Amino acid sequence: MKPSISQAESLAFLGPVCAVMSLGFIVPLGFIFFRSFTIDGVFTLEGFRSLLTSPLFVRVFWTTLEISLIASIVALAVGYPVALHISRQSERVRSLYLIMVLLPFWTSILVKSYAFTVILGDAGLINTALRALRLPQFEMIFNRFGVLAASTNFLVPFAVFPILANLLAQDPNLGKAAEVMGAGPLRIFWRITFPLSGSGVLAGFILTFVLSLGLFATPALLGGRHDMMMANLIDFYTRDTLNWNAASAIAVILLFTSAVLLLLLNRVRGTEKFA
Amino acid sequence: MNSPARKLNLGAIGKPVHWRFPLTGIMAWSAFAFLLLPSLIIIPISFGNKNQIVFPPTAFHWDLYYLFFTTSTWIAATTQSAKVALLSTAIALTLGTLAAYGIERSRLRGKQLLLVVLLSPLLIPGVVTALGLYSYFAVIGLSGSTTALVMGHTVFLCPFVIVTVSAGIKELDGSIETAASVMGAGRFKIFTAVVLPQLRPSLVSAGLFSFLMSFDELVISWFISGAQTTTLPVKMYSSVQTETSPILAAISTMLTILSVIICLGAEGARNLRKKAVAADS
Repeated sequence: MKPSISQAESLAFLGPVCAVMSLGFIVPLGFIFFRSFTIDGVFTLEGFRSLLTSPLFVRVFWTTLEISLIASIVALAVGYPVALHISRQSERVRSLYLIMVLLPFWTSILVKSYAFTVILGDAGLINTALRALRLPQFEMIFNRFGVLAASTNFLVPFAVFPILANLLAQDPNLGKAAEVMGAGPLRIFWRITFPLSGSGVLAGFILTFVLSLGLFATPALLGGRHDMMMANLIDFYTRDTLNWNAASAIAVILLFTSAVLLLLLNRVRGTEKFA
Repeated sequence: MNSPARKLNLGAIGKPVHWRFPLTGIMAWSAFAFLLLPSLIIIPISFGNKNQIVFPPTAFHWDLYYLFFTTSTWIAATTQSAKVALLSTAIALTLGTLAAYGIERSRLRGKQLLLVVLLSPLLIPGVVTALGLYSYFAVIGLSGSTTALVMGHTVFLCPFVIVTVSAGIKELDGSIETAASVMGAGRFKIFTAVVLPQLRPSLVSAGLFSFLMSFDELVISWFISGAQTTTLPVKMYSSVQTETSPILAAISTMLTILSVIICLGAEGARNLRKKAVAADS
């Protein structure tokens, strides 16, 4: 029987966190909205208009979407076999495999991005090895490839978790029934497991896409001038040009895009069926 | 036609184990290598040449680590990160645990909406939270202070604590609390004497990971820290272009080791909970 507490008690438990979150989060968000819709205190949409027509923002916006799209798809492609493999293990072995996903998950993204600068740099690991083998070298850093490699690396664990959750929740009797009726492992996968994992894949995609939109250190460390993402642009407007209005406007656009995607994610999660 | 007399050896999701599909395993292990490689590769480099990145490393020195521990700016940044992380974790654990209990046990009507609002810092891009905090602190004059950092970190740690502790509360046997209240215990007493002890593993886990998240946090700190209050990730980030020695490799290795220790600690806490649950049943 689930106990419940009175209204007054609820307020006592929830009060402190609500107070802190109002002061530390809601109000700051309010500041962003205020700054984006006003210039020198006057309400105006001029900030948004000049932003949406500026070539810099348009390019950064599309770059952000492109990078997010590609990184998410690759992360899903890499993460799906991982989730599949883990889901097929016994419970004890599964924990060991999960550690191999959780360790990179809990490693700082700054450390991982820095590691990629070492691996992909001109004097870095891969190119040094290629040089030693007298093979042609590649430019893998300060360009789109570098950003995508490091972003994908960061996103894979986030792709694995929803897919794994879905696979583990699938009804084992389906596979048994199919096997008894003569289906081989490949057919069981293609006709049963994969289609049922659709909502997990979709959830993983939306999650990685939203996370990728907000990337900051990765494009800064590994990208070139044409790989600037929205978070970097916000930083630029805040630090270098002190254009609060533009920075806030970009933040609002980023927030809006993420919110829409997260609502979509919620819908996907709500419609999950496992047989 | 499969003979019914053949014994089906079934794995986790009913997949017959006797055919071990090797392709999935190969792909998975390649993925694991890809995931673990960056963190691992930094380790030998941190023990290598002091002046430039050389791979494969030709020697084994502690030079870079020595350099780190003797440079006051790096130590100051590390101390600042630890200070902010400890304070934010302590506050977030307190607020978040109270809130998680409140959410799980209350029958307020706007509960779902409130939960979404409370969890939103986790869901929106960090740079948005960072910009908001920066604008806000600039106006109220706290810009660049440790207080601002602690507040900023607490804001993004609270939702994480709420999620983690809520999961723990969901597994509790509520009838113990009901029994306690029937026996006359007030809500505060029930919370501290009945609920919290049972939540110890969740609290340890939430605390450890919150500390790690705060310690590694870059974006919010980048926006709101000042020259005197720089945290370690902020200093690392600003040093990437300017720092000539691969000291960042040594720092990265130490941070990776921190992550490993915390993961193992949290795993230990999880096993403690499993033992406690097993002992009760």
